[in-house]
Amino acid sequence: MEVAFKLNDEDRVVECAPHESLRTVLRREGMMSVRYGSDTGETGAAAVLVDRRLVSADVILAAQVGGHAVMTVEALNTGPDLHLIQSAFAATGAMQSGYSTPAMILGALALIERNPDPGEAEIRDMLTGILDRETAYVKPVEAIRRAAAVMRGEHPEPFGPLIVPPLTDGTHPAVLDPDDPPPAGPPSVPRLVPSKDVPDMAVVGKPEVKVDAVKLAKGNPAFTDDIEMRGMLHAKVLYSPHAHARIVGIDDSDAVALEGVHAVLHYKNTARIKYASGGQSYPNPHPHDQVSFDDKVRYVGDRVAAVAAETVEIAEEALSRIRVTYEVLPAVYDERETLLPGAPVVHDEPDTSHIHDRERNIVHHIAARRGDVEAALAGADHVYEQTFRVHQVQQCPIEPHISIAWLDSDERLVVRTATQVPFHTRRMLAPLVEREIKDIRVMKPRIGGGFGAKQEMLIEDIVGHLAIATRRPVRYELTREEEFVSSRTRHPQTITYRTGVSADGTLVAQDMRVIGNTGAYGTHGYTVQTITGLRGLTSYNAPHKRFTCDVVYTNIPVPGAYRGYGAPQGEYALEAHMEDIALDLGMDPIEFRRKNWVKVGDEMDIAPHLGERAVAEEELEEYPKVMSNGIEECVAQGARAIGWHRRNDPAWREPADRPHIRRGLGFAFCMHGTAIPFLDMGGCSIKINDDGTFNVLIGATDLGTGADTVLGQIAAEVLGVPLEDIRIYSSDTDVTPFDTGAYASSTTFISGTAVKLAADEVADRIKDRAAKMLDVDDPTSIDLGKRMAWAKDGSSVSLQDVALHSLHLEDQEQIMGTASYVSPESPPPFAAQFVELEVDVETGQVTVTKLVMAVDCGVAINPITASGQVEGGMLQALGYGHCEEMVLDDEGRTVNPRFGPYWIYRSDDTPETEVYLVQTMEDSGPFGAKAVAEIPKDGVAPAMRNAILNATGVAINDIPFTPERVWHALNG
Amino acid sequence: MPKAVAYHRPATLEEALTLLADPGRVILGGGTVVNTPGGDLVEVVDLQALGLTRITMDGERARCGAMTTLGHLVDHDGVPSLIRDAARRQSPSALRNQATIGGVIAGADPESVLLGALAVSAATVELTGPAGSEWIGLGDVLAQGTGGRIITAVEFATTGGGVIVATGRTPADTPIVAAVARRDGDAVTIALTGVAGTVVLVDPARLDELDPPGDFRGSAAYRTHLATVLTGRALAEVT
Repeated sequence: MEVAFKLNDEDRVVECAPHESLRTVLRREGMMSVRYGSDTGETGAAAVLVDRRLVSADVILAAQVGGHAVMTVEALNTGPDLHLIQSAFAATGAMQSGYSTPAMILGALALIERNPDPGEAEIRDMLTGILDRETAYVKPVEAIRRAAAVMRGEHPEPFGPLIVPPLTDGTHPAVLDPDDPPPAGPPSVPRLVPSKDVPDMAVVGKPEVKVDAVKLAKGNPAFTDDIEMRGMLHAKVLYSPHAHARIVGIDDSDAVALEGVHAVLHYKNTARIKYASGGQSYPNPHPHDQVSFDDKVRYVGDRVAAVAAETVEIAEEALSRIRVTYEVLPAVYDERETLLPGAPVVHDEPDTSHIHDRERNIVHHIAARRGDVEAALAGADHVYEQTFRVHQVQQCPIEPHISIAWLDSDERLVVRTATQVPFHTRRMLAPLVEREIKDIRVMKPRIGGGFGAKQEMLIEDIVGHLAIATRRPVRYELTREEEFVSSRTRHPQTITYRTGVSADGTLVAQDMRVIGNTGAYGTHGYTVQTITGLRGLTSYNAPHKRFTCDVVYTNIPVPGAYRGYGAPQGEYALEAHMEDIALDLGMDPIEFRRKNWVKVGDEMDIAPHLGERAVAEEELEEYPKVMSNGIEECVAQGARAIGWHRRNDPAWREPADRPHIRRGLGFAFCMHGTAIPFLDMGGCSIKINDDGTFNVLIGATDLGTGADTVLGQIAAEVLGVPLEDIRIYSSDTDVTPFDTGAYASSTTFISGTAVKLAADEVADRIKDRAAKMLDVDDPTSIDLGKRMAWAKDGSSVSLQDVALHSLHLEDQEQIMGTASYVSPESPPPFAAQFVELEVDVETGQVTVTKLVMAVDCGVAINPITASGQVEGGMLQALGYGHCEEMVLDDEGRTVNPRFGPYWIYRSDDTPETEVYLVQTMEDSGPFGAKAVAEIPKDGVAPAMRNAILNATGVAINDIPFTPERVWHALNG
Repeated sequence: MPKAVAYHRPATLEEALTLLADPGRVILGGGTVVNTPGGDLVEVVDLQALGLTRITMDGERARCGAMTTLGHLVDHDGVPSLIRDAARRQSPSALRNQATIGGVIAGADPESVLLGALAVSAATVELTGPAGSEWIGLGDVLAQGTGGRIITAVEFATTGGGVIVATGRTPADTPIVAAVARRDGDAVTIALTGVAGTVVLVDPARLDELDPPGDFRGSAAYRTHLATVLTGRALAEVT
């Protein structure tokens, strides 16, 4: 049918099918800013303006807009400059991945048109239509507020951190005066607590605008799906309806016969090559318990077959014509039940090796210890034992997994894919598609969030197989339901602590036992669980420690990597356990922790024995030590910000006018790692251009975090240029150096050091040439700054002249530098997490009113992007503790695989957040930096649990704190 | 997306009725429900050209065309704050600008706070069929459906005041149970969501007769408990 409408003020007549959504048609018309987040409209990544009102193009038919005016963000892109709203989003750090930014900008435009001075509630109400998994809405709200002000002719102050003087000497606790209020400022602004150890720098430490701001604000084609390939086919995958079954027959003849179908793949026609899908370093941890298509399915959502067809609709029709005969087997979902005698064996196939105890579904047994735990517990004054259960949640990137594969002119397989691990993907994909690594190229464009779900070689083999089979480009994008059910999730665990404490509150032993549920496949099962042990047994000094873990198979959707990677589970249990011990001992919960937490100089003694490259020796000559720790300052700043003194004030805790409400405050001590020592490696290559600017090629994988910007700042600082003179490109296996990828809080620390080393090399060569040009004997006396090379006598030459000299005039050479870095260290960031909440004691509903995190991430290379990481991470962590859960029915089907029933926080119920960046100087990091990406995931759930305890006197050990669970707990 | 195999946009009510005489055709409100995945092959009949988008005030009643979007309800100063608040809670912003009041009634979602607010506001629904138009009480429409007729308009009271008291996982979550109460003079009416197959008007003295369905957000027993607590609060707060 034909539909006539106005698109961005131009008349259009488009040909479309009656069922096609406006999103489909707009993308076909080239409006790549309109993006897929779901088929049900609530993600808002596809929100556009129809007659100047925000609507979701997912659930409006193109036919419905006939006769109406449609506007996409492309309408604002009339020239090189950004629109005022786009500028405000760039200036405030309101874009992380930027995937849904165009929708937010359109919503803001319509809002400001109706009300030039919208209040925060109105802004938040508008944003309810656009789910954001990244920013916690803090900076988008600020961006819209500032944009409105500028459009009214006002001139807001430049956006930057609020400098807050330290409250401590960095070592000793502060005594807080309850009458001393915290610093006033908008919540979007990070509170930066400076350190005398950190020098002032030109670019590092500054609130630079993200290097990808223009393409993100304009909605330019930058994401995986934003290219059009001639002759491209569309893939769909048939997923298992059964939690556990053998495929005894498959008949694809009707599907193959369907016009427009080009390939149907399944176990009968695809080579059986074993692999493990977790995106990890070579050699991938065993067991290799997957194949592209198996003759057994192990969860509802497991792969059965894949189709490539001319359209998505034909592919779907083809799936319905594949006749599969299943022999349904008993299934098991709970990690405790799978260990019981008689439980079904999930992996009974003979060709998977390295399963620890196949009959009992134990894929790994992990053990690590220091000292003699049993003897120490036997001699302890007090022994506490507690068991906690943590549940299954999903990462929920708004951009689901998507990959496009094709054969290039050399007939090499090219895969453009939303991945955090392009280099691992290339290496892991090669054997599956029976090609050599040299014949595969993996390109990572902009990524719409990943949070670990994309640390996986998840669907690249499907498009690879299909592209090779059809010799056509093949695109496969998961639906939202498939993203929930068939991608990756967080591991559920049952965690038991036994802790021995002496009478004065000193820990003498900690014993941690974990049953980790890795679902149908191993993938990250081993390493996630080791991180649970590492994080669960490193925060506090105890001379005797033991970690014992069974990682078990079940028939639930597959857990994998999720931001925090085992730490949120372990630290939840640890910080709940420590709270209860403190209260039982009659000690202040923070004082009890302080007595035991690791301090500068303390050994992290179990760390080398756990992790992807754990050492087997029982005793090492040297253990890594904590070299920087800003926790005392974090506690002081956070306690003042949350009003910690109120926790024992009955008048505050029991508001007289609301008799069913109890208020509470909770705390959690957080400690994380920075990269995997001796393993994570990043490479960087830098070259100078004719104009004295630089290309920086990195394998590091910015998935929205701002990594490209931070790495650019590091290069700019070394090379003496503004950030705008750095052109970053990441990442492409043909073009950029290797990098393990975006995970394990490693990019700033590992890839950043590689950038710094490469930049140092380039700087040396610039200085050599500048010395010649300036007739200076000692090149090391040359300084770089303000785009110039300076001699001590004040003479100078511009970097442009150095570049022209080197490229064209004399002793010609390409000034360039290449470096890579792997670290023996993993310096821990620390944080104090505070939560303020209300409990409705009659209904069990918990309402979180404020989150404060004060984090020591070393030197924040960019305080705006760093605070954005903390804001977004805290909100994900709040969802984990409070309201997110994947619910399975008795048949193993996920009953809530869509937003709404699966609730992620929305703009209008997000609590107030405040972020403190406590600066410390970490000598092992580039310009003093440690990690910041994952630590915000660690403390919210336990601090929330401890706040409920403070409010009601009731300790709840299982998450999430949904109303009925809390109500049952309150009622015994 | 559903397989809408044909799209119709009738210019008149008569044309719409003629089209809808074919049982293979369904009414497209804003599309936020019909245009989601699953379901059969259908022909959709878009009522947007029928002019069913006016909101008019008539004494103590307001009348809305069935194609009035929730967004327009929220923005309309003449609509009682109870209805506006409920319409705001019903859907996030972008969907609110598409979803229609007629569509919400046709959907009969038992967890709809907007239906609760309409129920306590003595809403009546105009159903139009080949034999003409008829005004029916909202409760009857929710319980019995539209009988194949078109919802063309909705009327509700604009007097009095009301409150919404709800329990959900977070403040913006679709409530597990919500109590919506309205006082008009001495008369108080209460509707509950999440306790039955539809939104129901309840007698606070007979809440023990409820037999709610349970799900993962709230068991039957918990929903029964919430009904009592939230009804009590709504009665206390509606002044």
